[in-house]
Amino acid sequence: MKETILSIPSPFGPSIDLLKFSWEGNSRNETISIVSGLHGNQLNGIYLCSRLTHFLDSVEAGKEPNYYLNGLINIIPAVNIPAIQEGNSLWSFNDLDTNLTFPGNKYGEISERIAATVYQHTKNSQFGIILKSANSHYDDAPHLSCLNLDRLTKDFASSLGPKILRGTKNSTILHLSLHKQWLEEMSAVVLSAGKPNHLDQSLCETLFSGLVNSLLWTGVLGNDLKKPTKYQLQFTKENNEEFIVSHSGGFFLPAVKLGAEIETGQKIGDIVDLYSGIVLEPFLSQSSGHLITLRDYPIVYEKELLAILLNKSKLSFWPFK
Amino acid sequence: MKSRIINSYQTPSGQRVEVVKQSFSSFHKPPIKRVAFVSGLHGNELEGIYLCNLLTNYLKKLQNTQPEKFLGEVHIYPSVNPQASAIGVRLWPFLSVDLNRQFKNTSGNSLARSSAETLIKDLKASADIVVDCHASNLHLKEVPQIRIIEGFHKKLIPLAVQCNVDLIWVHPPSPVFESTLGYNLNKSKIPTLVIETGIALRINQDFVSQLFKGMLNLLYHLGVIVTDKIQPKVNYPIVIQPSQVVILQSDFPGFFIANTDVKKNVSKGDIIGKVLDSMNGEILQEITAPRNGFLFTLREHPLIYPGDLLARIALKEMD
Repeated sequence: MKETILSIPSPFGPSIDLLKFSWEGNSRNETISIVSGLHGNQLNGIYLCSRLTHFLDSVEAGKEPNYYLNGLINIIPAVNIPAIQEGNSLWSFNDLDTNLTFPGNKYGEISERIAATVYQHTKNSQFGIILKSANSHYDDAPHLSCLNLDRLTKDFASSLGPKILRGTKNSTILHLSLHKQWLEEMSAVVLSAGKPNHLDQSLCETLFSGLVNSLLWTGVLGNDLKKPTKYQLQFTKENNEEFIVSHSGGFFLPAVKLGAEIETGQKIGDIVDLYSGIVLEPFLSQSSGHLITLRDYPIVYEKELLAILLNKSKLSFWPFK
Repeated sequence: MKSRIINSYQTPSGQRVEVVKQSFSSFHKPPIKRVAFVSGLHGNELEGIYLCNLLTNYLKKLQNTQPEKFLGEVHIYPSVNPQASAIGVRLWPFLSVDLNRQFKNTSGNSLARSSAETLIKDLKASADIVVDCHASNLHLKEVPQIRIIEGFHKKLIPLAVQCNVDLIWVHPPSPVFESTLGYNLNKSKIPTLVIETGIALRINQDFVSQLFKGMLNLLYHLGVIVTDKIQPKVNYPIVIQPSQVVILQSDFPGFFIANTDVKKNVSKGDIIGKVLDSMNGEILQEITAPRNGFLFTLREHPLIYPGDLLARIALKEMD
């Protein structure tokens, strides 16, 4: 079912409409909510939601052999619709980060109303997934993150496909995020993949299979011939991450591929002078690990983050073998 | 006066961006108190920067002619987000992040976050009392006021009343403040006053002059500087709690046209402004004062959506 859950008229042009898609099975035991588009330029999540919507409409219409709906599935694919329409991460009218306005206020200004509506329509779920891309200027290898690594969340995460689960340190800035608010109510993870302002179809197809698998695992979707897969998951805490930071400004020219396993001493890339092309700073990795985030936008300032490495020696596995 | 660079970073094209601290040393050893003024966390809030300019000029002249008048130290950080100020934007350019939401942010790693860490570390090492000067955002005009989070009010109100503001607003704590400079300094037991005044990208000279007088009065009150002259009297502000604030919002999208200005007592029924249909000018909503009080916030940005804040009235009148 397609539903406009909030419509705010605009002084000019069309209204700001927040849409929710939902599918309900006969035995409504479990509920999952999937949300994307908290930032207007993170497109992979929005596209993934459209793929899921297409698939679930087909399931509902009986066009997907052996699949059937069991529980309730909610998808809110485009939360920050004003920013999406503007092609920016934030809506320039208020420069507010929508993901720092939860749980919102239904009587407040637009961002607060949007946040309140998203929260109200999802908070009673048992499971939640937030789909995003990397922050501006970065590219993320597909991975999951969570503020609360309890057993159920780890099990849930292991149904989703990405092989990495990052434990996120609780920070004051996250208190107003949807993820933090959800954790009061449900098991929830954030799935980040790819870069902003970019749609990676093949990446999305891989992630799509994992999302369908997680719907089977949670029980909201059924398939009598198919059991959900439980993927092995490596998880790491934030203090096991190496942040590689530039020591000069210029062009950053990476020498490694996102998602690669990096060895100690391996070259990560160079900072090159903007005018002369002279290498100002070669970057060698101080440790070994998995390259989870890489700078995508080549122009960098001094002290900027270039890459995040998840230290290999400190990765743990779930489920334990 | 001594200037020191507390933070710097190289731009992609090789120049350096520098955050500068201007310090006025104490004649009296040890200093009676150390006070810091910070502005420009949001790059487009220029009134705080201008207030720091006035203070720097005044203190520079005083130190050159009568250095013995300094019994304490003053440190001024006039522009802590210089790239944002250079282009008149609120957020840290390039990253689009709010520098005043990076304090005690332990997630991730960014230039804005490390700059916030450097700033708060320097302030903690240099100041016993801090004044964090903000203008309002691009949408609302505010009278000179100090906002205080409940819990810090006992320490802060006695300082805030010295600052020649029109209003002190004590409001409950909220997660939104937990990553701000003011909250984190107060948490670290460094009393910090957060000033809001005027509107972004403008300088209201009357408001800044009022605050300048207040900042000097604060320095006199703390004994940081002394004077032989009779000190001019400062306003005693209205002190309000959230229950004493009436918020007026728009029910419609359109234009807001104000009929009045801030810093005025209003009576019940007074017209504050009107909401117009942005396509044909038809009046959609007349905004009137529901009760007598002091108008301390007024919408300046005419473009509005339903729910947008139009005005705030304190249910106490200004003498």
